[in-house]
This record gives sequence, structure tokens and C-alpha cells, in this order.
Amino acid sequence: MALIQPTSTLSEIIAQEPSIIPVINRFGIFLGTGDSTIESICADKKLDTEFFVMILNTFTNEVYFPEKHLRSINPLVIVNYLRLTDCSYLKFQLPNIERHFASLLQHSGTANNLKLMRAFFDEVKEDVKAFIESDTNCWFTNIENGTPGISGYHTPDDGEAIEEKINDLRNMMIMHLQGDYDPNLCYAVIVAIIAFEKDFRQNNRIRNRILLPLYRESSNPKESM
Amino acid sequence: MANATKFVIADNDTARAIGLKHLLEQFYNADVYLSQSPESDHSADDDISTRYLVSADMLVRNIDFFIARRQRTTVINGSDNNSGMTSIDSTTDESELIEQLGALIVPKDESVSSTTLSQREIEVLRLVAMGFINKEIADTLSISFNTVLTHRRNITAKLGIKSVSGLGVYALMNGYIRESDLKR
Repeated sequence: MALIQPTSTLSEIIAQEPSIIPVINRFGIFLGTGDSTIESICADKKLDTEFFVMILNTFTNEVYFPEKHLRSINPLVIVNYLRLTDCSYLKFQLPNIERHFASLLQHSGTANNLKLMRAFFDEVKEDVKAFIESDTNCWFTNIENGTPGISGYHTPDDGEAIEEKINDLRNMMIMHLQGDYDPNLCYAVIVAIIAFEKDFRQNNRIRNRILLPLYRESSNPKESM
Repeated sequence: MANATKFVIADNDTARAIGLKHLLEQFYNADVYLSQSPESDHSADDDISTRYLVSADMLVRNIDFFIARRQRTTVINGSDNNSGMTSIDSTTDESELIEQLGALIVPKDESVSSTTLSQREIEVLRLVAMGFINKEIADTLSISFNTVLTHRRNITAKLGIKSVSGLGVYALMNGYIRESDLKR
């Protein structure tokens, strides 16, 4: 997909890449934007257009990661975005997968291995919640309070281990599902998992490659010289 | 993608490296990583299936690394004498370049492409699911540590599952272990 510009019409971007809908929602932007451009919507909502466009571009183009530009952003802005992201996982995306799973189990009989997959999803969900809780209560708070040190910080490996598990869950559904199940409801579960997987991976990139180095630099200015 | 050939492109010419990456991904579904420092960069596991596409200057700067991997190294616009390494000509036309890249694709190993686990792989899977670490698996099955790693890589390639708990669920759903065997 071509890079998004401040002058791009948001509804056209959404039509091409509907996976950004949860991302724009985090910024308080919802569907029904007509033919408004990104810069006019950001002006109305008092959002930083440059940051918003950067987030959309990193989300829609996996190979595009404007590390230098992102590092020029105030860490508090990034923390705020990641908090909104985490909130969206807990309030919407994880419950959404849960809801689809419940419906799938309810309409699929018992002669299948869905219950084990659901149990694996529950494990993934607990991992994600613990990861978010640690960020929220320790690391992000430290940054907001200007407290040096990175206590409570989960290592990038922790995030990658969760990405791995989400990927495993998706592959289990696609490659190893057996028995009697409702194909349409199963499709809904897989789509929800894939959307969450992409979102989590992209935000881990921002967290580990942008926020962590920024924070280390501000905590240990001598080391970064 | 499971079973795709892995490439690491080490080339200071970013535009050329990106061009080659796109061709390999688009036409051969390859997993491609760009690296400025292949010796220390672990973005792609360096295993026997990893192929290297390297520019002449990067080859000189990392000569020991690439000599040790000469059977898997291809020099971009290299000379005829590359110490056993192959070369491609990036100045040729697009179709010819695509064909040259295709010649570097490793044919799928049938023993790996099948999703059926071998008896040995099932034994390794059971022990992984039960919480054994690689060293313990090697001791229990009287095989080397590296053989355990090879089995684990093949299991992941066949099943698309990498995490220990994911493998546990797979082992459980296929009756290789009981729920009480799972280590939590």
C-alpha cells in the first residue's frame, strides 16, 4: 500500500485497509468521516497529524518503520498511544475473540478439538493481560513521572513470546482444526485473531524499538553519548 | 511462511537490496532479511537452509563468515572465481534476474514438507510438551543437543507451532500426552 499522507482522504485509506479501524478509534476517530482529509480531521480533534500519519504508516506497511522520526516524538505521546492500544486490547479485541469463540463453541457440537484451542487462547489472553499490567503499573508510570530506571519492564523477548503464541493459535486453527464446526463462525474467530496478531506485533515494534531506546537514553544520558 | 527458503541479503546498496528482496518475496515466497552485519545480526537464524546474497564489498568485510558458508553464499555481480560461491548478475534484464534468483531456491525437502511427524519427532514433541529442556531431551533419548534442535525445527516447520505451550496443546489434541503430563 502507498504511504499515507496528511492530505490523504481517510475514508479512502479505510476502504483499502480496514484493519486500521481499531487504530483510528484509539485516537477518537470513528467511521463516517466523509471525504475529509487526515489533516483536517486531526485539526478538528486537536491531534498531532505527523504522529497520527506515522502510526498509520507503520501499521499499514510492515517494512516501513521511520525510526528516526518516531524517536523525535515526545515519549509521553508514545506512552499515551500505547496505553490507548492496551486499553483497546483489553476492552475490545480480546473480548471480541472471546465472543466469537463462545459463539463458535456453542454452534459447533462437541466432536472437535475447539475446546483445547479455546483453552490455549485463554492462556494467551492471560499472558497479554500480565504483559499490559506490568507496562501500565511500572514502566509507563515511571516514564510519566520521570522516574529513572526501567523496573517492571518486560523484555522484548516477553512480547515476542506472546507474538509467537498468537501465531501458534492462528496456525492451530488453520492447520489442525478437526471435527464438526461452524465454518462461518470459525472464520470470524480466525479473522479476529489475525487482526489482533497484527496489531500486537506492530505495537511491540513501537514499544521496543522506539520507546525503550528513548527511555534508556533519558534514564542514562551519559550512556547514550 | 513455513518451508520458505530463507535469504539474508547483505548489500550496502539499499535500493538494490530492496529490489532483490521484493523479487524473492513476490516470485518465490521467500523469507528475506536485509542485514548490514550478517555476522552479528540474528534476525534470521543461521541454519543450513539460510542462503546469503552478498555484495562484493560486504563479502570482503566479512570474508571469514562467508567462506565458512560458501556453499550457501551467492555474490552479487561477483567474478568467476568466488571460492566456490555462486554469483548473479544484477545488471541483466528483469526476467533473466528472476530466473537467476529462482536457481537459488532450495527445493523443498519432502521429509520436512510433510505434516506427518516421524516417530522420533513425536518422542521429542512429547518431552517438549512435558516441560523437558533440550539438554534433558538429548539425555533422555540419547541423541546430541544439535539433533534435538534439528527435530524441534522440523516439528515447528511441519506443525506451524513454535511455543512450548502450543506444542503441548497439539500433543494433547493428538493423544501423544495426557493432560496430567503437561507441565505448567
